[in-house]
Amino acid sequence: MTYQEDDDVQSAGLNAALWRPMLAYARPYWRSFVGLGLAGMAVALCDVLLPRVTGVVIDSAVSGAGRIGLYGAFYAGLILLLAFMVWLFIVMAGVTATGVAYDLRRLAFGRLQQLSFSFYDHRPVGWLMARVTTDCDRISSVLPWTLLDAVWGSFLLSGITAMMLWMNWKLALIILSIVPPLSIATAIYQRRLIHTQRLARKTNSKITAGFNEGIAGVRTTKAFVREEENLREFQTLTTEMFDYSLRNSLQAAVYLPIVMSLGAAGVGLALWRGGLLAFTGNLALGDLFVFMQYAGLFHIPIQEMAQRFTGLQAAQASAERLQSLLDTEPEIRDGRVSDDPGERIREIVFDNVSFEYKQGGPVLTDVNIRIGRGESVALVGETGSGKSTIVKLLCRFYEPTQGRILIDGVDYRNLRLHWLQSSLGMVLQEPHLFSGTIRENIRYGRLDATDDEVESVARQVGAAAFIDSLPARYDTEVGESGNRLSTGQKQLITLARALLADPQILVLDEATSSVDTETERGIQKGIDVVLKGRISVIIAHRLSTIRAADRILVIDHGRILEEGKHAELLAKRGPYAHLYEEQFRSQLTVRA
Amino acid sequence: MISKYQLIWQLMHGQRLRYGAAVAALVLGSCFLYLVPLVSSVVLDVIISDNGSGTSPFILRTVESIGGRDFARANLWIAVALIFGLTAFAGLFTYLRGRWAAEATERIIRGLRDRLYDQLQHLPCSYYDRAETGDLIQRCTSDVETVRQFLLNQVVEIGRAALMLLVPLPLMYAIDPRMTGVSLILIPPIVGFSVVFFRKVRHRFEEVDKAEGRLTSTLQENLTGIRVVRAFARQEYEIRKFGARNGNHRDLDYRLYRLLATFWSTSDFLCMAQIALVVFTGGVWLASGSLSVGSFFFFLSVVNMFIWPVRMMGRILTELGKATVAIGRIQEILGHERESTPIVANTTITPPDQRGEIVFDRVTFSHRDGTCALQDVSFRVAPGSTLALLGPSGSGKSTVVNLLLRLYDHAKGSIQIDGHNIANLDRKAVRRRISVVMQEPFLYSKSVRANLMLGHPTATHEEIATASASACVHDTIMEFEGGYETVVGERGITLSGGQRQRVALARALLKEPLILVLDDALSAVDSETESLILAALKSRRGRHTTIVIAHRLSTLMHADEILVFDRGRIIQRGTHNSLKEEAGLYARIWKMQTENI
Repeated sequence: MTYQEDDDVQSAGLNAALWRPMLAYARPYWRSFVGLGLAGMAVALCDVLLPRVTGVVIDSAVSGAGRIGLYGAFYAGLILLLAFMVWLFIVMAGVTATGVAYDLRRLAFGRLQQLSFSFYDHRPVGWLMARVTTDCDRISSVLPWTLLDAVWGSFLLSGITAMMLWMNWKLALIILSIVPPLSIATAIYQRRLIHTQRLARKTNSKITAGFNEGIAGVRTTKAFVREEENLREFQTLTTEMFDYSLRNSLQAAVYLPIVMSLGAAGVGLALWRGGLLAFTGNLALGDLFVFMQYAGLFHIPIQEMAQRFTGLQAAQASAERLQSLLDTEPEIRDGRVSDDPGERIREIVFDNVSFEYKQGGPVLTDVNIRIGRGESVALVGETGSGKSTIVKLLCRFYEPTQGRILIDGVDYRNLRLHWLQSSLGMVLQEPHLFSGTIRENIRYGRLDATDDEVESVARQVGAAAFIDSLPARYDTEVGESGNRLSTGQKQLITLARALLADPQILVLDEATSSVDTETERGIQKGIDVVLKGRISVIIAHRLSTIRAADRILVIDHGRILEEGKHAELLAKRGPYAHLYEEQFRSQLTVRA
Repeated sequence: MISKYQLIWQLMHGQRLRYGAAVAALVLGSCFLYLVPLVSSVVLDVIISDNGSGTSPFILRTVESIGGRDFARANLWIAVALIFGLTAFAGLFTYLRGRWAAEATERIIRGLRDRLYDQLQHLPCSYYDRAETGDLIQRCTSDVETVRQFLLNQVVEIGRAALMLLVPLPLMYAIDPRMTGVSLILIPPIVGFSVVFFRKVRHRFEEVDKAEGRLTSTLQENLTGIRVVRAFARQEYEIRKFGARNGNHRDLDYRLYRLLATFWSTSDFLCMAQIALVVFTGGVWLASGSLSVGSFFFFLSVVNMFIWPVRMMGRILTELGKATVAIGRIQEILGHERESTPIVANTTITPPDQRGEIVFDRVTFSHRDGTCALQDVSFRVAPGSTLALLGPSGSGKSTVVNLLLRLYDHAKGSIQIDGHNIANLDRKAVRRRISVVMQEPFLYSKSVRANLMLGHPTATHEEIATASASACVHDTIMEFEGGYETVVGERGITLSGGQRQRVALARALLKEPLILVLDDALSAVDSETESLILAALKSRRGRHTTIVIAHRLSTLMHADEILVFDRGRIIQRGTHNSLKEEAGLYARIWKMQTENI
């Protein structure tokens, strides 16, 4: 549940190269962006004109020139236009923000479906999720609002400046003297803000992780009487958070009065210098009024634009991470594709296969295996011996670093990945179900299966008994990742799912015993049904499975030590016999 | 259970004065702020404009009191200094308000977080059986953040909006009652529209939140089940599924944008219309001579100052609604009863008594939903001996462990350690005597060493290495790049199930407990390693009383006594040799597990 913030990549300043591809994603919405810009200009125009109209009203009222009705109509027109433009820019921002978010998510999700497992190995699910959720949101919302405020702010600032210069340039220059300090104060404030915000965000994710650990580990905490120490450790985090949040607030508390005072200084200058001019008759009263209004207005666009700029900088880290995800090429792709082999696969051959991960030494060395149709092979060996790697290579989750894997004589790198994976069925150690009903989960094996077919496979693997005992039977909701069912029940459903898929190659990563013996026996029967008549490779832990296999491969340190049937291997008194005896020595001693 | 408001009041303990001071600063700040346009209006009226008609008598009196028109005219800089000074004063109070509100809020929130964490560690295990981790975390993080925003901003904003409206009223009235009326005409519809609108669209916000939740959980399921997706080559199907959720979220979100566009444009229009009313009514009265330029300026400035905060009221009130919901959810955690402390004062087992004898005497325990987990269970484990428990899942084996650790409180019968009824002992004193290794052990995301030292904070490196060797994990740890300093978990390397179990075993052994409990603790360890571990444990025999739970008979068969459980009862008891000859569950399992040899 922790969405780690990974702000380290973020550098100060804006990186245009990074935003260019992001703008490309916004291209389909260019019309809305143009509308947004136009609306921003129109709003700025209204903001400049409204005080001016007010000034004219004052002058004409004081001089008794009349025509107030006319100005009233103009004013009303302006605020109608303003209101319409506000409506327009929010709708346009909506079109672009929701549209770009949709597109980015679609792309990111699609890419995640293609990427190889080596990509997933080092990235926690929470981290990946944050890319598709938080990062996409941040980028898509920052684009329209930044554009709008940039257009609006710069037009408003230059509009006010131009209007003041035109009305009375000397007075205008005096008032404009507040702009530099205002800009400097804002720049300093925003720079500090972005720094402390980053620190606070980091600490915040640590706090979330702290709560997570506190809850997940509550039994361990109680068993080891760790309550006090844990709280003490947690308090260092909350105190850190306290410091950062307070610093954040204090910065705002200092900045706001500075801006207020600078604004007041502007108004005061306008009143003083303008007042003197008005007193001598060199400035109309209405104009004095307009100057005072403008002086009070200056800080708003400066503040807004600075805020957006900070937002853009904060979103830059998101853009960088998302782009690197989208740019990652799947390591495994279809090469020179030959035609799919015939209907039935005859054999799979590992031809001098070696494999090593990018970091770390060799995992498999010179492995040769041949598995024919209808044959089952059990892989036996210690944890880390290379059993799972053989399976991962067979499924082409990874490809051999040396040697070839041949399917009916063709290097599988020249076959379509999709074809291979659709011919493949897998039952994994930790059964994974999707939320939804039991029926939906079994049907995941073959999407067009009828209800009858679903129920039939459930019967064949022996899952029907417990399903029938549930009130809603096949329509029972299994809950998030199937957590309303027991491990044994989940395993039976994954078996039914695999049987429904009717794969030519079946890979079974047998679960170590976490279920009681009688349930285990039920699962064993289900497995026997599923294995029948396929090319099967089993990472075996149970003796019964090993004995039932056509062939046993004993793997150690990435090499095949021995190969043969159970009885043959026992007779050879080699590593298998040793392993076998180790496993059951305790039982044998009792018998003796 | 106390109410939500009492909870807030309670949390504010120690910070109430500071928070009150923040409110006072808010009042003073807004008073000073309104004096600024007053100064400008005096200047405009009396000093610059020759047109004395329509000038409010209030302003005239003010001017007389400072020395009259001529004095003021000659010293215009005083007005400028006043404007700057008053704003600076208002700024000072704004700063103080911000500072005090932040100090109070952040202290309250820190206290709240600590209290939640402490509470979570002291809630009974029965609470966690029903709670969902994700939901609890959300309460501790986003809900706390909602409360923080409430205290830091929303209370202040509501106060500010109200004060901005109320503070200038007397001043406005003193200057011109007619204009006061005109300035306020549209305020009720603006506030009303804002409040009604946000109340009406509240469910639209919730719909978007829900759609986002669905999107996120589809994503999460896909990513956690990515191997299944690939194994069945279901990428296209998953992309379509995600696409549907994604599109649904986009459509709802866009609809919300449309609604907000309507709201902000309408309310902007109303606010501008209110300003227009002041400008043009004022203009007419200005022309007729019944209003002075200064007063005109004053009203226009004042309306500009209060109208924008007022318009936010509806939105803030909705947020306020969210805050009360959040407080309620936090309250549910804090209000729950903690694990009780013992009634009897004598709470420790003194060292000479410590032998490690366990007695269960007619113990019965029921789950909350009424199903019986243990019924009339009695047994005795002699100090230093080993007891094994066997039985199908849910037969009550783990309940024995949970009751022994006082993770749950039993209903009937007594459990004694060395002759002391554990119900009368301090829970922590009981737990300090026992080491337990669970089937899915939890490791903190700290270094391996820190994890091992949990039960024995002063262990030397030799002790740690010895315990690890007994658990057959020393070599594994040394193979890690950082050895014992390697960090495990989210921030470090991921251990396999078997490695985790072995680290947890080493941790338990290092604690040198009086009683060692292995609750299906070697299930993920391969058979060869398991027999090595069992041999190591055998050599420690007599150092502690041991309770072992397992499904593999090879793990259990050497125990001094074996109890077979079924549906909360002991159905068989004896040694391996006696049980395998006795017709029953044990012999059946023995047959199943050995027939393949």
